[in-house]
Amino acid sequence: MALDRVSFDVRPGRLTGFVGANGAGKTTAMRIIMGVLASDAGTVTLADRPLDLAARRRFGYMPEERGLYPKMRVLDQLVFLGRVHGLTPVLARTRAIELLEELELGDRMTDVLHTLSLGNQQRVQVAAALLHEPVLLILDEPFSGLDPIAVDAMAARLRARAEAGVPVLFSSHQLELVERLCDDLVVIHEGRIVARGDAAQLQEEHAGTRIRIVVDGGTDWLSAAPGVTVVSSDPRGTVLELAEGADGQSLLLEAQRHGAVREFGRVVPTLSEIFHEVTR
Amino acid sequence: MTTQSPTASAVAADDVTEVSRGSLIRTIASREIWVKLHDKGFIASTVFFLLIIVGATVIPIMISQQSHDYRLAVVGDQATAVVTAATGLHTSASSGDVPKVTLTTSSAADRAAAEALVRGGNADAALVADGTALTLIGRDAVPDDLVILVKAAAAQTDVSRVAAEAGLSSDQVRQLVAPTPPKVDLLNAQPDRAVPPILLVMIFGFLFYFAVLTFGISIAQSVVEEKQSRVVELLVAAVPVRWLLAGKVLGNTVLAVAQVTLIVGVGLAGAALAGQSALISQVAGASVWFLVFFLLGFLMLACLWAVAGSLASRVEDLQSTTMLMQATVMVPFFASIFVTEPGRVQEVLSYIPFTAVLLMPARVINGTAASWEPWVAAGIVLATAALFVVLGARLYEGSVLHTSNRTRLVQAWRSARGGRS
Repeated sequence: MALDRVSFDVRPGRLTGFVGANGAGKTTAMRIIMGVLASDAGTVTLADRPLDLAARRRFGYMPEERGLYPKMRVLDQLVFLGRVHGLTPVLARTRAIELLEELELGDRMTDVLHTLSLGNQQRVQVAAALLHEPVLLILDEPFSGLDPIAVDAMAARLRARAEAGVPVLFSSHQLELVERLCDDLVVIHEGRIVARGDAAQLQEEHAGTRIRIVVDGGTDWLSAAPGVTVVSSDPRGTVLELAEGADGQSLLLEAQRHGAVREFGRVVPTLSEIFHEVTR
Repeated sequence: MTTQSPTASAVAADDVTEVSRGSLIRTIASREIWVKLHDKGFIASTVFFLLIIVGATVIPIMISQQSHDYRLAVVGDQATAVVTAATGLHTSASSGDVPKVTLTTSSAADRAAAEALVRGGNADAALVADGTALTLIGRDAVPDDLVILVKAAAAQTDVSRVAAEAGLSSDQVRQLVAPTPPKVDLLNAQPDRAVPPILLVMIFGFLFYFAVLTFGISIAQSVVEEKQSRVVELLVAAVPVRWLLAGKVLGNTVLAVAQVTLIVGVGLAGAALAGQSALISQVAGASVWFLVFFLLGFLMLACLWAVAGSLASRVEDLQSTTMLMQATVMVPFFASIFVTEPGRVQEVLSYIPFTAVLLMPARVINGTAASWEPWVAAGIVLATAALFVVLGARLYEGSVLHTSNRTRLVQAWRSARGGRS
């Protein structure tokens, strides 16, 4: 997967959603951040300093296809991973037990990983990412394969970390979830960043001058109205684009002449709509 | 990506313990050891080997040294005389030819009483004298060593009796019944050896073959398991790839050397218990060089096994990616079995890295190597090991992150050139 001038910021205290179609380059970008892949050019910096291994050791990472030893006991492998990240054996053990209890896996600590359900394995994976109290979290599809209850629990956990001041970057296909959860958004398409920034601001920007209108007696007359382009029309209403300088209020008056106006308002696009627009 | 985080830069300094190469490599190595020590297959194979070694050293020795106790019912003066002579045979000069047998005698009134004792299981055999004619009575069979002993004792008793009747002096009688055996002098004497050197070389060869194969495959497996489960992504984000490789090789080397040392040690201890001092001094001397070459040979191949593992993307691919390695291990093994004759071929092969590992210790055992020769060969193997470690580390770096499919060697070589730090 080739990336082309991918550049975005992850800010402290905020959840950043990283969305893109399959093969758009999400995983590649995350692997480059983690140093698992080398980039041919460009830099990854933390607080204006280029990243090196010492800095990356302090990141929490959850790889796309998960990464734990299937045949090792849950607690043992967390202790091992903690030590790999530089914790002392005692500290690694204490934190692993704390996290597992917090994740309601206290009674599964001595079980071999592959005997756990996928959802529980995912929780162990979360514990592995949080073990060394990372200064940054990079999570590749943390919600995939989780049931709705587990999704909520995971969302609350990520939110809590973000509020504790840890920047969190996570990728997901579930656009509704990202919309509900994220403060910031990064949209990647075919290796390029096509949208990025504050989620609410992005929605505002893409809202443009579109108006949804529902009028008793139909909207066929709209095609003749000046400065109006009909974008779509379905039983839920008609979406139109108002040309620059055209007057919305006079359009409303015009509509009232044709019948009772049930709905007349600016369209704020959903993330899904923005996504389709920017990746077109 | 930039994170402007006051929090991040503030903690970056000292929260996590500073990266220490030694402790990281040790952490990786101890996980390898831990996993292996919890592997039932590994434990079973070690126990199996130990049992074989104990069996092979102790049991034959015990059998050969075992002294048999027999209860013998005795009827008649002549029979009593023979039993006395039999007991005396052990202490006389020619005792080497006589089986070690301890006799417990009980006298019986007559043949019928003796037969009853044997039949009832109260005596293993009965020796009945009818005048000078002796009969040895057994139930199903009379043990061979008992027959030999009684025959020898009876012959001696006869000779003593006839000699005494012929009027020979007691000195002459002693000369007659206990002749001085000829002394054996060898013009081209070989050092005393309890075990044929060829057998010893074969045992060592097999140990090397077995250990390198099992631990080699275990290195390759551990590498591909990390690849397949993607743990490797977590690891390389925290540990330099070379340290990862070093930890794996170290862990498995420690275990392999420990296992082989244990097996050889138990074998030696077994022989010591059995009182085989000749065997111990012979094997112990040979073991030192064997273990040195084992360690060097193992290190030489270990990194290449890791490469074989990292070229695979799934455990199922291992069979094909480790094929070359399996052949590489087989070569020295078969060389040690087939090139047993001292000569030019063995000399040359004992300097070629792969075969030197077994054939140089073999030449030391055979006594055909000058004292400087193993040092030179060890140096050659060590240099090759260093080369392979560098080569292996690079190929491992280039292939361990290609998780999607089988990696080719050339591809691995080129990927590494791009250079991860």
